[in-house]
Amino acid sequence: MGMSTTQVATEESFSRSAGKQLAVYALAAVALLALLMWLLNLLASLTASAAGSSTAVDAANNTITIRLSEEPPQLDTTLLTDSVSGVVIAHVMEGLLRYDQHQRLVPGMAERWEINAEQAVFNLRDALWSDGEPVTAHDFVFAWRTALDPVNASEYAFILYPIRNAEAINRGELPLDALGARAEGDRTLVVDLERPVAFFDKLTAFSTYYPVRQDFYEATGGRYGADADQLLYNGPFTMESWVHGQSLDLRKNPRYWDRERIRLDRINVAYIVSDANAVLNLFKDGKISLASLTAENLAEAMEQRWHINRFMDGSVFFIEFNHRPDRLTRNRNLRKAMLLAQDPNELVYKVIKIPGYLPGESLFPVFLDGVRGKFREEYPAPEHRMDIARARQHLEKARVELGLDEFPPLVMLTGDNPVSNIQSEYFQAVFKKNLGLEIRIDRQIFKQRLDKMTKGQFDMVLAGWGPDYNDALTYGDLFASWNLNNRGRYANPEYDRLVGVAQGSLDAKVRMDAFDAMQRIIYEDAVLIVNYERGQAYVTDPRVKGIVRRAVGAEQDYTYAYIDMDG
Amino acid sequence: MSETTFSARDFESVHTDEAVQVIARPSLSYWQDAWVRLKDNRRALFSLYLILALLAFTIAGPWVWTVDPQTQDLDQISRAPGPAAQATIVAPYVPWDGSTLAPPGTGLRLAEPATTQAVRLLWEPVEGARGYRVYRNLFPIGEERAFGLPLFDILDPLDTSFEDRLDLKPRNYFYSVVELNPDGEPTGAHQTIEVDVERVTTLEEAAAAGLVPEGAELREGDSVELAFHPLGTDYLGRDMLARLMSGARVSLFIGIFAPILYILFGVVYGATAGFFGRWVDQVLMRFSDFVVALPFLLFMILIRVASGVQPGESGIAPLVIALVLLGWPATARLVRGQILQIREEGYVSASRLLGAKTGYLVLRHMIPNTMGVILVTLTFAVPSAIFTEAFLSFIGMGVAPPEASWGSMCNEGIKTMLTYPHELIFPALFISITVLAFNMLGDGLRDALDARMRGTE
Repeated sequence: MGMSTTQVATEESFSRSAGKQLAVYALAAVALLALLMWLLNLLASLTASAAGSSTAVDAANNTITIRLSEEPPQLDTTLLTDSVSGVVIAHVMEGLLRYDQHQRLVPGMAERWEINAEQAVFNLRDALWSDGEPVTAHDFVFAWRTALDPVNASEYAFILYPIRNAEAINRGELPLDALGARAEGDRTLVVDLERPVAFFDKLTAFSTYYPVRQDFYEATGGRYGADADQLLYNGPFTMESWVHGQSLDLRKNPRYWDRERIRLDRINVAYIVSDANAVLNLFKDGKISLASLTAENLAEAMEQRWHINRFMDGSVFFIEFNHRPDRLTRNRNLRKAMLLAQDPNELVYKVIKIPGYLPGESLFPVFLDGVRGKFREEYPAPEHRMDIARARQHLEKARVELGLDEFPPLVMLTGDNPVSNIQSEYFQAVFKKNLGLEIRIDRQIFKQRLDKMTKGQFDMVLAGWGPDYNDALTYGDLFASWNLNNRGRYANPEYDRLVGVAQGSLDAKVRMDAFDAMQRIIYEDAVLIVNYERGQAYVTDPRVKGIVRRAVGAEQDYTYAYIDMDG
Repeated sequence: MSETTFSARDFESVHTDEAVQVIARPSLSYWQDAWVRLKDNRRALFSLYLILALLAFTIAGPWVWTVDPQTQDLDQISRAPGPAAQATIVAPYVPWDGSTLAPPGTGLRLAEPATTQAVRLLWEPVEGARGYRVYRNLFPIGEERAFGLPLFDILDPLDTSFEDRLDLKPRNYFYSVVELNPDGEPTGAHQTIEVDVERVTTLEEAAAAGLVPEGAELREGDSVELAFHPLGTDYLGRDMLARLMSGARVSLFIGIFAPILYILFGVVYGATAGFFGRWVDQVLMRFSDFVVALPFLLFMILIRVASGVQPGESGIAPLVIALVLLGWPATARLVRGQILQIREEGYVSASRLLGAKTGYLVLRHMIPNTMGVILVTLTFAVPSAIFTEAFLSFIGMGVAPPEASWGSMCNEGIKTMLTYPHELIFPALFISITVLAFNMLGDGLRDALDARMRGTE
């Protein structure tokens, strides 16, 4: 017995001393870790300062630093599709016309222009490429032919279709030189139109219409737009360097025709990050001069006393139904039931919670022009009221028409980002609660989602559409039966006829009446469920003034920006 | 020389102490002995109770806390843990065009009492302004003239009303109306009021959410208790406690079911290899080496594709299959080693000499002697399986929404970590506690079941 007590005693003292030892080790480990962190931090700050200035505003060098959410895939204007590339290219290139800080169309490479039902004539100004050669009408003809060449398979070739023979050339039915665009001398560009186009001037501000110089394009051997030195510039800035995946360096272009207007000497795209918290931290540390806000960090932005801005980026988001014959969603009553069972106000005000988002009422967003004023003020959207009782009646009708005992689960295809994750789970619960419908969420990355949309592997898809040009047709023709972006394959002869009217008429009243009829068909036929018009809340460095954000054209425009140290 | 005489007495036993013959301590079987030693290990015992509590939480919890984990309480999104809130009943929302009879007063003011349904503001037209921008702030306007969230731009100087419905919380806000110059840029001129927002609900909503007590006749102006969420709600207003319970079912099911399956298989496999030895052993063990070399994630994705799991369906079945198919070799190796060793022990040879059959040898000697190793492997396999599930749900390959698992809840919670930490902390805490408990229990079991550690007490 005594023996074992001593043993216990030693064990106790052992565990006590072991505990002490453990504590000492733990303390030492923590201290070491702290030291290591501090050293790493020191090293990081050393390399950062070595990498050059990365402060948001550098008044001495007239430089601002910004970030992009991702890297441009490439900057060949004949192939461009995404909005990030659109922002970069609008700073280094310029088309015939462009948008100013008040969203008005102003002269760019074209000094004067004249457009009638058959023809458009542009008189080019005395402008230079960054290598000193003049910008000529030939450069435009070459760019458009390149974009239309079926070999290049440009996704935006369709935007050139108003030019005579463009569509046939793009289909490979006519040779490239059949295009109805020709240079009369170096300074006059004559464009024959396929049909009267009410908005051809607005189209020429789009990047696919930008010029490309033939000799330079051919000298790059297929790498045009892949690197800073593989691109020729005629815009306000030139690209000094492009470190892929890391940074882009834009410098003021001394050969730009309107260089007096440009007040910044350098735009340093030092960061390519998309994570919302990382972006906010960069802004907080004074490393970038503009940061977008998410619903989660609005409170922080207010607490920091930042000046918050918002703008509508013109994108409309909606649930698009699959209208293919083998899908249940082809049934109008089923679609109608879902349309009536949801309330976009609830989605925007309670679930998304970002100021700037507008509850969706129509496919045509509020910024579009109508006959005299704004389209949506002249032609209010069809009134929507959530009505669960009526929704259930439609659902019952649909069930009988489809000959079902109960509805099988429907597949909702969605993207993989925070807002669409929340949105899809919200709708899943709404349709379950109000209609008893089972929804399966199919989350896919952007490319995969697009692929599934094209193949029709969905019942509904959370999709969106941003404007290519400032006319309601950029939204309206989306659901024409021939449009390849009509992923649900909605086909309605009456709708097609209205799109034809809007395309071919020059009379604003006739066109706007057609758009109004379209928004009514979309609601009555429940072609889609409009969710919201997207807005963005963002903060800017108070020392940088004149940053322009807009729906059509480059969504971030620093060509009017300047530094004002007084804040 | 003296004669020694022996009497019969001398040949009696000196003493017979019955006590020596008696087995003083009760005879303990292997399991009883292990249990006794496990009971002495306070950490292990505590872990055991913790695991039992977790099981009770998972299985019995939903009977006690009957809230549906998928119901979205949109009026209480991302609510922190706390007592139930009270709301006043008001009439259903009616759209407002700003044409309310203006209440007396001038300047920026409320058209009617501010509620979580809507805040309706009115002010007087300002001469020379192109329009107005309405802001909302959580803080009073200071020197910085930061007005907070810009809610809307009104581009008509005569339109002097605004209705705010964006994410209204029952708290006080500072609303500002700033004049716009002809370019649409805000000028310095502004009016600000502080607004105290009251939490309200409508009779319809309260009835739909089952908040109206039975037999109660509620009228507008009455107060009603909103749904109670003891651990708060997530980003869609779903009850965290209910979601943690239903998530536990997924996590613990995978954590316990998959390891049991693959350890059973591993034991049979390893025992076969170890007992027969020679070429059987060679073939079986080389095959297990091959399985070890298969990458788990890739294999898991392959099984997912091959088993035809449709998008939007739960990926739990392929996950369990992949875990079972790839998890067994470690156990098989361990058991084989043990069996090889025991096979050569003296008592096995003795048993064999006495005519014991193979089946008897395996069941009587081999398996019981490897039991310790097997149980310990099992307790360590559980946390690793729970982790695997959490990780796969975290990267979006586990459960499908609206189902939840602890891993997927962490995935959602991490996005709002800084603003609503409770959405991350609770599921993370549950994962940590479970993993820790199983690990500590495994530690204790190893000590308790190891025969060589007997007698050290």
